[in-house]
Amino acid sequence: MTSESDPRVASPRARPRVLPSLPTGIGLVALYAAMVVTLSIASPYFLSVNNLLNILLAVAVIGVISVGMTMVIISGGLDLSVGAVVALVGVAIALSHPVIGIGPAVILGLLVGVAVGLINGLAVTSIGINPLIATLGTLSLARGLAFVFSGGLTQPVLDRGFGFWGRGFVLGIPVPVIVFAIVWALGYIVLRHTTLGRAIYASGGNPQASWLAGIRVGYVRRLVYLICSAGAAIGGTLLTSQLAAGAPQAATGMELSVIAAVILGGASLSGGEGTLVGTLLGVLIMGTLNNGLVLLNVNPYYQEVARGVVLLLAVGLDQLRLQGR
Amino acid sequence: MSDRPPLLEMRGISKAFFGTRVLDSVTLVAHAGEVLALLGENGAGKSTLIKILNGDYTKDEGEICLDGRPVEIRTPRDAAALGIRVIYQELHYAPDLTVAENLLMGRLPRRQGWGRKWLIDWPAAFQRARELLELLQVDVDPRARLRDLGVAQKQTVEIVKALSAQARILVMDEPTAALTPREADLLFDTIDKLRAQGVAIIYISHRLDEVFRIAQRVMVLRDGRHVGTVNTGAVTRRDLIRMMVGRDIDAAQSRADSPPTRREVALEVRGLSAAGAFEDVNLRLHRGEIVGIFGLLGAGHLEFSRALFGAEPAERGEVLVDGCLVALRSPEAARAAGIGFVPVDRKVEGLVMCMHVRGNVTLANWRGCTRMGLFQERQERERVQHWIQRLGIRMSGTSEQQVRFLSGGNQQKVVLARWLEANTHILILDEPTWGVDVGARADIHALLRELRDQGMAILVVSSDLQEVLSVSDRIIVMSRGRIVSEFPGDRATQAGLLGAAAGGAG
Repeated sequence: MTSESDPRVASPRARPRVLPSLPTGIGLVALYAAMVVTLSIASPYFLSVNNLLNILLAVAVIGVISVGMTMVIISGGLDLSVGAVVALVGVAIALSHPVIGIGPAVILGLLVGVAVGLINGLAVTSIGINPLIATLGTLSLARGLAFVFSGGLTQPVLDRGFGFWGRGFVLGIPVPVIVFAIVWALGYIVLRHTTLGRAIYASGGNPQASWLAGIRVGYVRRLVYLICSAGAAIGGTLLTSQLAAGAPQAATGMELSVIAAVILGGASLSGGEGTLVGTLLGVLIMGTLNNGLVLLNVNPYYQEVARGVVLLLAVGLDQLRLQGR
Repeated sequence: MSDRPPLLEMRGISKAFFGTRVLDSVTLVAHAGEVLALLGENGAGKSTLIKILNGDYTKDEGEICLDGRPVEIRTPRDAAALGIRVIYQELHYAPDLTVAENLLMGRLPRRQGWGRKWLIDWPAAFQRARELLELLQVDVDPRARLRDLGVAQKQTVEIVKALSAQARILVMDEPTAALTPREADLLFDTIDKLRAQGVAIIYISHRLDEVFRIAQRVMVLRDGRHVGTVNTGAVTRRDLIRMMVGRDIDAAQSRADSPPTRREVALEVRGLSAAGAFEDVNLRLHRGEIVGIFGLLGAGHLEFSRALFGAEPAERGEVLVDGCLVALRSPEAARAAGIGFVPVDRKVEGLVMCMHVRGNVTLANWRGCTRMGLFQERQERERVQHWIQRLGIRMSGTSEQQVRFLSGGNQQKVVLARWLEANTHILILDEPTWGVDVGARADIHALLRELRDQGMAILVVSSDLQEVLSVSDRIIVMSRGRIVSEFPGDRATQAGLLGAAAGGAG
């Protein structure tokens, strides 16, 4: 027994951990490694540069949105409206670009996204609506408006240069992957190294204590919803470019994929906990899983099933590990 | 004692968590019809011992005997079947159900005849609940919702519930922590009745007054070891404190050793009022002075202190910091004016429990460890390390450890460190040593005196007489939202303060 292991410190009320020496999320890394190894053996195509870029391209849109979602969830909130924002942004760009040109149309799209974020933030903080309900409301609102403006029809985007954002390459790397990398890196710096990041963690961990320490909790919350919607708008722009069209039914249910990836990455729905490294892993696991199942020629209906199983397993194991015994 | 074997005997109990021994061959004996007080600082092993008794934890070594026969307790269910009941600090009840439902949970009487498996016989349930409550002559309506009861009444319901399940051994973990003195008296009456019925009661508390009042014997734990068990009649407060802490602490330690010289006014309050909470409060707090505000529960002193920090609204009145009028609209504004605030409940209002110690210490001021909004982590670690050493914060890991793994006293020191890091020069503390063990309590009081000597203006708001008396240079008594009297620290007595506080209420 060393002098450090002072017994009065080991608070008996704290739940004992069974694997105290392992950092949280090590299970995720192990899971991902196992997945990569298995798929490499099972499919000769899996471990190629091309296929890896395919995986990254496939998760780029979800990945971009997952960065803001991670912040919202760490701050103790939830944003269900992101999928609908993606669709609304696409419709906005598609309908407006013949009139105002593609540049302003993209800016308009981003503004539309930010507007939804503003409504989310105000609804949650100033009015005090539960985030689940508030963003369910804006989900409906944004999705509905996308159908109203588009008349329910997919609207083409004819601008040639615009396709670069969704389908272009720089140095052999797909542009959406580069955008994802930049957004993720910015998010990482914000969460890990800035006062805003610390305020997000504190506000989610204990809003009352944070407020009494002088942190503007309401402001922080409004800001994360804004960031999250802005991320969804960027994702929407990428998707619209990929499809060369804005579709009102696009990205239906995408919010659930994003939330699943973030939770898989170890963020806590009760706030205060989560990292972008974890979220990245969560996104990659989901993407790799889909890719692997396609390569292995599994019936696509099973993909959904597999996603559910992986989510339950990964989060379940982590929970058991924390509870000890 | 008699020849009969004791009702409960826990012999040679040991328990370790990951190589850290929290209990080392501890022996506890409890007889029917007695109150055994279990004393010890936070982390001394009291809770672990009780959790082993209740089957929450399994013991590594040792034996538990009831009536001299060894028993095996692996789950709380086993404990309940043997007549062992633990009433934890956090009460477990369903607030929106009635008293009767809470009392009879899991065994509500069923209707006779048709549907007897599924339908509840409500008249019988209320009748049964009333009978149970009458056993202890408790005046609570079985139809009342638990939410609408006072804390003491809820606690009584919990006790009745334990008894109705034929409890022979009742463990209470700091039952008076949330009670007013009057409610505590009610609880003590109940305990006396139980004792008369032959129940063995194990009573955990930090409050020595209570121990002397209700316990026949006292068992003291320190650092997981059994220091001794003594008859209450044979020891003094001082003896018990020495047993708990392992060193001498003068409980009523030197208050203002030398009356401080009056320096400039740091905080001035003029006619501050908030409807229903406090009315026309005037106060001057000087630099280098500790002012205690004493009041009984509901006297408005806690609300007043929160209003000073902008945590609750005040409707009328002015607050001047260093002679300048300030609008304390929010904690943020108060912090900017150089005011710090230590709230009553550190778990709920003081700390971000899932965050590391480092982040909790710097939470109120990032200027010292950031450049252009970016944290300089090494700098932050060094600053936090400085406070950890300065305040003697004890923990098993580094400042990266989550704050929830610290004991109550050390957590409170983290909250204090936060305001020192924030360069506070006016510090307001609500019940600063609530739920803190004797050793940390003495540390915190010593720290407050030291800060005062360095020129800080300190307001200690407390319902704890001992605390107010031992730490304050000047004591203000509030009652019914008003200041009713003021005492110089060296002329205040327990009787005087209580008289003033209660007199205003009567």
